[in-house]
Amino acid sequence: MDMNVSSVTLPEDLSGLSSQDLMRLEKQIADRFMGGLPWGSISWGLGNLAVWLSLWPLTLSGILPLWIAFPIATLNVMLSYLPSHEAQHRIIAQEGDKLFWLNELVGHLSTIPLVVPYDVARLTHLEHHKHTNDPELDPDIGTKAKGPWHSILNSIRNRQPGSKASASYGATLQRLGTPAAQRAGLIALAFQLSYLAILFTLAWTGHAVVAVLIWWLPRHIAQTYIQFYLSWAPHHPGTETGRYRNTRSFRSLVGNIGSMGMQFHIIHHLYPRIPLMRTPAAYWALKPVLEARGCRLDGL
Amino acid sequence: MIRVILGSLMKNMPFLFGIGFLAPLIKEVLVLWHVSLGVPPLAIGLVIGGTWGAFATWSGRWI
Repeated sequence: MDMNVSSVTLPEDLSGLSSQDLMRLEKQIADRFMGGLPWGSISWGLGNLAVWLSLWPLTLSGILPLWIAFPIATLNVMLSYLPSHEAQHRIIAQEGDKLFWLNELVGHLSTIPLVVPYDVARLTHLEHHKHTNDPELDPDIGTKAKGPWHSILNSIRNRQPGSKASASYGATLQRLGTPAAQRAGLIALAFQLSYLAILFTLAWTGHAVVAVLIWWLPRHIAQTYIQFYLSWAPHHPGTETGRYRNTRSFRSLVGNIGSMGMQFHIIHHLYPRIPLMRTPAAYWALKPVLEARGCRLDGL
Repeated sequence: MIRVILGSLMKNMPFLFGIGFLAPLIKEVLVLWHVSLGVPPLAIGLVIGGTWGAFATWSGRWI
C-alpha cells in the first residue's frame, strides 16, 4: 500500500477543475489509503471482547472490585462497535479473500457486549450509507437532534419500549424483505432473548448488581455515546442527502481518540473502505478537494 | 403459533423485565444496604419491579 500522497500533484487552485477532474484527483488520493490488513482494528475487536469476558469471572469470584470493573466494562462496550464496523464494510477482507473468515469473526464477535448481531448491524448500516439523512429510509435518522444535549436526551427517549426509533432497525429489515434480512431479524430476536435470559439468571442467582455494572448499565451508556459520536455529530443537522453534504468533519472537545475518530467520518462516507485508523491522514490529504467540493468542514 | 407467542412475549417484555430483573436487583440492593422494612425484600422488589414494568408495558416508556 502506497501512502505517498506527495506523488499526487495537487494544482494550486482547484476551483477551475471540472467535476470529473476533481473526482479523478479525489480517487487517486483516496486509493492510497486503502488496502492492507488493519491489524489495529482486528486486535482491538478481539482483545476488547477478551477483556470484557474476563471481567465476569473476576467480579463473580470477588477478585476484582465492581467499582474498578464497571468503568472498564463501560469502555469495553463503548469500544465494541467499531471493529465490527470495519468488518461490515469488508475492510479486513473481502468475500473470496483468504482471510474473509477473519473479517467475519471480528464482525460477529466484537459487538457481543453491545447485543447487536453482526447481520443486523451490517444490513442496516449499509442502508444508512445508501440513504444517509433520508427521513424515511435512513435507519439512523432517529438520532437527529437540535444539539448535543438534545442528542443525549433523544438517545434515552429512543430506547423506550414504545418509541418509533427503537423499532427502526426492525422496520428496515422488514422493508428489505430479503432472506438475509429475515434471517437477521430472527438472529436479533435470539440475541435479545439470550441477553435477557442471562440477565434474569444472574439476577435470580444473587448476581444482579454484577449484571447491572458489567453489562446492563455499560450497554446503555455505550449506546448513547456511540449514537452521539457515530451518528449524531458527523451528520448534524442531518438535513442534506448529497454525497458531499450528508456528513461533515468537526472538531470534538474530547479529541480524536475520545470521539473514536469520528471527526473524520466524512472520509468514511466518501470512501467506506478506508480503514478507520487511516481516515485522519486521508482527510488531511483530501482536504483541498473537499473544500473545492463544498463539503462542510466545521473547525477542522 | 410461535409468531403469536413470540409477539406476545416481546409486547409484554417490559413487565417481564420488571419481574425478572428489576425485582431481584431491588432485593439484592436492599439486602446489601441492610434496609429492613418489615417485609421480605423480594416482595418489595416484585411490587416495585412489577408495577414499573407494567407501567412501561402500558405506556411504552420506563421514564
